[in-house]
Amino acid sequence: MQRPQRIRLALILLASSCSYADRLHFVIPAGPGGGLDGTAREIGRIFKTFGQYESISYENMPGGGGGRALSQYLENRSRYRDAVLVNSTPLIVRSLQGLFPQSFRDLTPIVGLIADYGIFVVRADDPILTWSQLSTTFKSRPSTVVVGGGSVRGSLDHIVLALALSSINVNPREVRYLPYDGGAKAMLALLSGEVRLLSTGLGETMPFLDSGQVRALAVTAAERIETIADVPTLQELGHDVAFANWRGIFAQPQLPPKRKIELIEQFHELRQTNEWNAALQKRGWTPLDLAGNAFANYLLEQEKLLRTTLTKLGFIN
Amino acid sequence: MWEGISTGIATAVDPINLCWVVIGCVVGTFIGMLPGLGPITAIALMIPISYGLDPAAGLIMMAGVYYGAVFGGSTSSILINAPGVASTVATSFDGYPMARAGQAGRALAIAAYSSFVGGSLGAIALLLFASSLAAIAIQFQSPDYALILVIALSSVAAFADRGQILTSLIAAVIGLMLGTIGTDPSAGVQRFTFGQLDLSDGIPFILLAMATFALAEAFRMTTDRSEGPIPSPGKNSVRLYPGDARDMAPTVSRSSVLGFLIGVLPGAGATLASFIAYDTERRLHKKVNRVRGIAAPESANNAACTGSFVPLLTLGIPGSGTTAILLGVMLSYGIQPGPRLLETEPGVFWGVIVSMYIGNLILLALNLPLIPYISRVIYLSRKILIPFVIAFSMLGVYLTTMNPFDIFLMLGIGLAAFLLRSAGFPLAPLLLGFILSGMLEENLRRTLYLSEGSLTIFFQSPLSATLLTVCLIVWTIPLVRIANDLRRGGNPRD
Repeated sequence: MQRPQRIRLALILLASSCSYADRLHFVIPAGPGGGLDGTAREIGRIFKTFGQYESISYENMPGGGGGRALSQYLENRSRYRDAVLVNSTPLIVRSLQGLFPQSFRDLTPIVGLIADYGIFVVRADDPILTWSQLSTTFKSRPSTVVVGGGSVRGSLDHIVLALALSSINVNPREVRYLPYDGGAKAMLALLSGEVRLLSTGLGETMPFLDSGQVRALAVTAAERIETIADVPTLQELGHDVAFANWRGIFAQPQLPPKRKIELIEQFHELRQTNEWNAALQKRGWTPLDLAGNAFANYLLEQEKLLRTTLTKLGFIN
Repeated sequence: MWEGISTGIATAVDPINLCWVVIGCVVGTFIGMLPGLGPITAIALMIPISYGLDPAAGLIMMAGVYYGAVFGGSTSSILINAPGVASTVATSFDGYPMARAGQAGRALAIAAYSSFVGGSLGAIALLLFASSLAAIAIQFQSPDYALILVIALSSVAAFADRGQILTSLIAAVIGLMLGTIGTDPSAGVQRFTFGQLDLSDGIPFILLAMATFALAEAFRMTTDRSEGPIPSPGKNSVRLYPGDARDMAPTVSRSSVLGFLIGVLPGAGATLASFIAYDTERRLHKKVNRVRGIAAPESANNAACTGSFVPLLTLGIPGSGTTAILLGVMLSYGIQPGPRLLETEPGVFWGVIVSMYIGNLILLALNLPLIPYISRVIYLSRKILIPFVIAFSMLGVYLTTMNPFDIFLMLGIGLAAFLLRSAGFPLAPLLLGFILSGMLEENLRRTLYLSEGSLTIFFQSPLSATLLTVCLIVWTIPLVRIANDLRRGGNPRD
């Protein structure tokens, strides 16, 4: 083959690979190795196995509490035309707190795929055995039980705690919340006895529940979860609280309707595959089944709830 | 346990796994050698490859990438004063001056042997004591961490020794202050970010290290024309000098043990280990000995890197950013590290540990023959070396953060650092203060929140009381010595 021909062929191949639905690019607002990164890579792997896309690529863009990825994604629309953005509940929390001006309203919600529920755990040898014992203590002496969490004040673990406390009529501002740099260090603090109670996510806690080092008192899911069938939900304990940290997929704001339907369809197919269910099992993720407008409405509802809670905690006016 | 070890040996010497440990070590050590690139970048780069492997092979490779990068990390610290990872900052204190004095090969050889001994002793300790050490790791609480950090901060005294007491302390305070930029670790509010989202995570360590060390040094070389050429290496320059091994032996054994123990503590890790080991050696030997100054941090950081696998494997708790990524990799295989890992995945558990020993041998065999070639970098003419250093350190920062804003921030800080240095301020205490700042603040604030502001919390447990005593000792000794020197009417030492 002559050289000019070869170049032309390469150009044609390059152009075809850039055509509309052949490639999918994931923008991940976090570093490699975490939950959001894992979600994108599991989805990508399965899409590739089933030939939905010829090429899948990933771009980790940590920083600014997810704000950097969001602003890059929205500012370079032509570059990220075909890209999707992975995100989770902190997107709502941080835009409510005013860390960045954009919100989920600037994006097209595609699907909510995974849910992580809030869970309250104590050390296995703690004399507190049930949620009602804990709430009695909270009601009589709110500042005696120090609660740990894996993120700063006013972020998810603290919000979930505040939701639960409000439901038992305890002022969340009277309870001492101790922030740690990540769920793992918070768990260590619980094991070392520095904090008495931990407000954290179910996914991260699962292995410690399995190994019997810690005991769960309540979970914020609406219904009991199969893998921890003996842990009561706050709702069945008579408190009107249900909360999930969702993980989902978003696309550019001016997405052609045809493409939106196609994406939703592809994720619908993804949910049916054995590979996806195996991945959920392997990683200890609970599935969430929301798509399109249902997902968008869910986000609006959650935003309302989060706004109320953050106001109660005094983080927003 | 012996049964476990034999399972581990069987897994580790499996030809395929042996192949992956070699690949992991080669990739890790080469990426680690590049200025500005450290274990996190190396591991992140290999994640896609690890997904295709079976769990034992994948983890053996990823662990190899990790300690391989720590092993190779000293190279850029020694040759061009560009530590790519916090745990090799201390190596540059004595390593770079030794290289500029024409003994680059010797410095690299000391680093390689020390890394090897540190890593291997660490692997043996991991094999023997992993499960019992995990129990110790969960004894440490926020007050104890706060005290350890104050002890580490006392290594500023090692620099103050050179007659720069006031300037060292000022530099350390500037470092502590720079560490407060970003999101408040407790309340989550933005501090000193001027509304810039790019600053909300604080200044990245790698950026500050490159700016204050590599850039400031490159700027100095550009302006300082008085410096003569670097003396040409003698025949034996790539080897240890006679007597080096004798100097190194006690230092390396002390530092390895110290490094491993500090590495076991989640959150402390290789950086603290290297600083504390360096400081310990400086205190034990009054005379400045560059051989020990390289051997101590290098053996400590490699031992600590191995030690950090204790909380990861036996508690399921990652102590550092790098082990957190490794945890993610383990989870993607469906392996949950923790107290039950020994029962559920004995092959993986023991296999990874045994492979570390093999990996360290490979790294030594890989690094030693390269020294004569790599060390030539230092003899490059300034016209080539300076642009090379500037370009590579910028590339390293950009590849880590992928944010063009950081390039400008780095240039600004580099210039400021150069001016500070020209005014006689040492920059090492600044970087030290910066590294410790965030952790110290976080732990101290938690401590005081727990005790409702009372300082008595530091006496309440035997562990804190012991650490407090050590803390008082390490801070008073240098002060007493300085006071003595002043009373004798002379200037403080040197």
